[in-house]
Amino acid sequence: MPILILADHDNASLKPATAHTVTAATKLGTDIHVLVAGRGATPAAEEAAKLAGVAKVLLADDASYEHALAEPVAALLVSLAPGYSHILAAATSVGKNVLPRVAALLDVAMISEITAVVSADSFERPIYAGNAIATVQSADPVKIVTIRTTAFEAAAAGNCAAVESVTTPAAPGPSSFVSAELTKSERPELTAARIVISGGRGMQSGENFPLLEALADKLGAAVGASRAAVDAGFVPNDYQVGQTGKIVAPELYIAVGISGAIQHLAGMKDSKVIVAINKDEEAPIFQVADYGLVADLFKALPELQQAV
Amino acid sequence: MKILCAVKRVVDYNVKIRVKTDQSGVETSNVKFSMNPFDEIAVEEAVRLKEAGAATEIVVVSIGPAQAQETLRTALAMGADRAILVQTDGATEPLAVAKVLKALVEKEAPGMVILGKQAIDDDCNQTGQMLAALLGWAQGTFASKVVAGDGKVAVTREIDGGLEVVSLTLPAVVTADLRLNEPRYASLPNIMKAKKKPLETVTPDALGVDVTPRLKTLKVAEPPKREAGIKVPDVAVLVDKLKNEARVI
Amino acid sequence: MTAATPYTPPQKEIRFVLDHLAGMADVAALPGFEDASPDMVDSILGEAAKIAENVLAPLNRIGDIQGAKLGTDGVAHTAEGWGVAWQALVEGGWNGLPFDPAHGGMGLPNLLNTAVQEMWHSANMAFALCPMLTQGAVNAVQLYGSEALKDLYLPRMISGEWTGTMNITEPQAGSDLAATRSRAVPNGDHYLVTGQKIFITYGDHDLTENIVHLVLARLPDAPAGVKGISLFVVPKFLVEPDGSLGARNQVKCVSLEHKLGIHGSPTAVLSFGDEGGAAGFLVGEPNRGLEYMFTMMNHARLNVAMQGLAIAERAYQQALAYARDRVQGKPLGWSEGQSKGIVNHPDVRRLLMGMKARIEAMRGILYTAAAAVDVAHHHADEAARDRAALLVDLLTPIAKGWCTETGQQLASDSVQVHGGMGFIEETGAAQHLRDARITTIYEGTTAIQANDLINRKILRDGGVTANRLLDEIAALGGELSGHADDALRVTGAELVSAVHEARQAIAWVLTAAKQDPRLPAAASVTLLELMGVVAGGWQLARAAKVAVGRLAEGDADTAFLSAKPLTAHFYATHVLPKAAALRATVINGSASVMALSEEQLFGAA
Repeated sequence: MPILILADHDNASLKPATAHTVTAATKLGTDIHVLVAGRGATPAAEEAAKLAGVAKVLLADDASYEHALAEPVAALLVSLAPGYSHILAAATSVGKNVLPRVAALLDVAMISEITAVVSADSFERPIYAGNAIATVQSADPVKIVTIRTTAFEAAAAGNCAAVESVTTPAAPGPSSFVSAELTKSERPELTAARIVISGGRGMQSGENFPLLEALADKLGAAVGASRAAVDAGFVPNDYQVGQTGKIVAPELYIAVGISGAIQHLAGMKDSKVIVAINKDEEAPIFQVADYGLVADLFKALPELQQAV
Repeated sequence: MKILCAVKRVVDYNVKIRVKTDQSGVETSNVKFSMNPFDEIAVEEAVRLKEAGAATEIVVVSIGPAQAQETLRTALAMGADRAILVQTDGATEPLAVAKVLKALVEKEAPGMVILGKQAIDDDCNQTGQMLAALLGWAQGTFASKVVAGDGKVAVTREIDGGLEVVSLTLPAVVTADLRLNEPRYASLPNIMKAKKKPLETVTPDALGVDVTPRLKTLKVAEPPKREAGIKVPDVAVLVDKLKNEARVI
Repeated sequence: MTAATPYTPPQKEIRFVLDHLAGMADVAALPGFEDASPDMVDSILGEAAKIAENVLAPLNRIGDIQGAKLGTDGVAHTAEGWGVAWQALVEGGWNGLPFDPAHGGMGLPNLLNTAVQEMWHSANMAFALCPMLTQGAVNAVQLYGSEALKDLYLPRMISGEWTGTMNITEPQAGSDLAATRSRAVPNGDHYLVTGQKIFITYGDHDLTENIVHLVLARLPDAPAGVKGISLFVVPKFLVEPDGSLGARNQVKCVSLEHKLGIHGSPTAVLSFGDEGGAAGFLVGEPNRGLEYMFTMMNHARLNVAMQGLAIAERAYQQALAYARDRVQGKPLGWSEGQSKGIVNHPDVRRLLMGMKARIEAMRGILYTAAAAVDVAHHHADEAARDRAALLVDLLTPIAKGWCTETGQQLASDSVQVHGGMGFIEETGAAQHLRDARITTIYEGTTAIQANDLINRKILRDGGVTANRLLDEIAALGGELSGHADDALRVTGAELVSAVHEARQAIAWVLTAAKQDPRLPAAASVTLLELMGVVAGGWQLARAAKVAVGRLAEGDADTAFLSAKPLTAHFYATHVLPKAAALRATVINGSASVMALSEEQLFGAA
């Protein structure tokens, strides 16, 4: 039976998370369909069609899907569900919002944020903030699964799948979009960046973040933050790396002025190489860092920017 | 408007989790339990809505073992008015919890259900969405701000790219994120009053809900450990290592 | 800013001692304590623990670094964040925990208050002095004040809107209160108080709008000595009959002391009546002030004893965390799977075990005494009340003397575990040692406690009460020395020996006092230590017995429970044997204390 993936996109383009989800799907089967539900979302659908492994893209284009509200998108997925063995989405704010609703409407259990596919019905997923890994098995007729993007490589481009329109049952829902306040940045997205540089409470104020940003720009890196830095108001919430923020696993993660609370480690400890810069040599971050530098970040950052 | 809050008794966030040697789960005997932190935020929000005059009564519900009464008392001490324990000793999956909550919603007829966005034990992040689905209600997940209006509630949601505001027709389900509020400490008089507030115990059976788990846990293992690396003396050595040893820049 | 060291309230240990050593259930069964049910105790301890950990503990280091400062406005300003923390206690109603509901209290047992106070003191001793002193002042007014005085002051002191102080010491009157000079002259419906008081803890501060000072002063016609001292309420701001604040009273904060520790606690020099006299209101009857003050002071002594335990617990937690993280060489006999931290070096472990065992011993003594205070005040049966009161009287000087001396020793051991890092202020271990240093001094030095023990608690009744307690301890020791469990057996046998030593020392005191009163006086602190060592062993043996019993009944909490007999065994082999040496010093060493002439002591230079 085919596998259906709910794409993550902003209508104009496809989010990288979808490419990771496709890779997870390839471990389950070969007939992979991607649903792009949006408004004027043809560009996103065309991007999805290019992903290797995708057999078909379903495009549901309707005003009701413009902001990916859970109520209409879930209803759409439920209407498409018969005939699919799995419905997948990335564990992004869209996937996490929509898929549980789909599962409940189909009266099946859901499996959140898997990090590995064991078999078509068994999956590994972290529990207790990543302090344990559970392997769970589902006997439900359709498996509803979100995937942790850092655990799966992105599918390559180069395909040319068909894009098919699907008729949409959209009725006015009980919720409506009011506004969004999106952080604008020229830098790569946190979850997709090859290098991530994060600042913590040690940055002392939001006014010092340009120090990080200058280095990030030189390295082509994304900028993140610890919960402490977000809670202190240094940077907006979408910068947060950690258990309740974004989970990242870049090639290189540089933690600056971050002590390394468990909550934060859960969001970045799968990075390939971790660098920690902190003036407190006892900081727990050093216990996971490949390279630790005990130094005043206000001296080290400008030096680093010069040196790279 | 009546508000229903759902709270879960979980292993305290400070407890260092140990995986059982037989890989059947994590060690939960003789460890400290407390209210799921996100649920605590949900209760606080409900209490604030009541204090602001937007709500008239707060009913707090927990689905779990008899000891979950303590969790409910904590919520009552924070300001909830009465409590319902749906007692069950086995593991509870979000779908079953959502069904139990749906049965209670049909009895209690609240105008809003507020609960934490996820429990810090199973990290599922499903229950609120599932409940909204079963009820056919709107959902405002990952809320960082809740403004109750006439027949509607505006919810500011924390999303990957920033913040988003949605307007939900009431009744609706809201799930609390970290920055929604900072929960209060219960006062001593309120802790004592909480003991006298009504706490009703029912069973899933009595509500007509089958809570048998749908998923089978095959094993629970320790995550791979990451070893500490080396300390470098200065920026120059760090850059050299990154370029020539790790080859990441 | 250096990082604040965290504090995790040892709720499980506290709960164990409450339930199994202090008899929380028996206390809850006393008339008036119906609310103190087990689930209520859980809820209260849980919430108090959160406040201790998240509100008070993070301010400990800030208080130490910033200290309290006397501003140009004449007001003592507390460190950053202390006002907010005080408000948290007021809004939470925590000050009123043990007091009469008629004046806004919660009417809960002193035992429960003791557990909460332990957490406050561990979290931030310099801060916790303020609620501690306020509770002491409430006790005095509640017990001895007129109805009018109670109605006017108690509700706001119990709520914590106003704080209270004890004004006892004067420059020439420290341990000797007969030298008190402050005066109070009748003036219509009140008195005019003049004089200077020193070492007034929270004598001035910016946490509340009013401060209620309890002041010892002499009436014009008062007899000389300690029998001529009366107690007065002297508020910082006068209180109108409707409870609103009136004029500023003549109480001036002249200066704040620069101290070795507890920097966050303002220690004031207060001047009363610089312009004629501060308005004061007599508490109880004239000339009975010292007697009243002593009732409070006995309570305060147990509270200071608690500080000894509390600071030791905090220092222990810090040492434990450091010992696990700090790696220095490979520990002897180290095997794969153990942590590589210095915690596995045998001598570091010895220090940590010494801390752990003594902390549990102190907690047992203090909670047992706290429960006895409840029984002494609330039991329906007079004989039971009297028995409990005698136990409290006997345990108070032992607890105050031994727990504060031990607290100080353990704070020092914590520095030792840290090695060189412990001597560095940034680590935070040094603060505990500095803070602990006052506890053996205020509310009666260790020597004052030892004098009290010998004169009032042993010589006065010919050693009857003390020997009765020793009989009880010996009976437990005897029972355990035949137990199948090795650790219990050794603990029991060592306890029996230690009791034997204590009995001999007491017998000697009773005889020696008849020969020369200086002989027992010179041995008094040593005797107090001996009694403390035995009382600590008694409590650990009780705990071990309970734990072994529970394990036999199938209690699954094996890691926690099986540690109890092992900890008792450590104490039995490392601390109880000191009883013999202490006995020898008491009996054989007393004469040598005063053997040198004063000239010899100063040397023929």
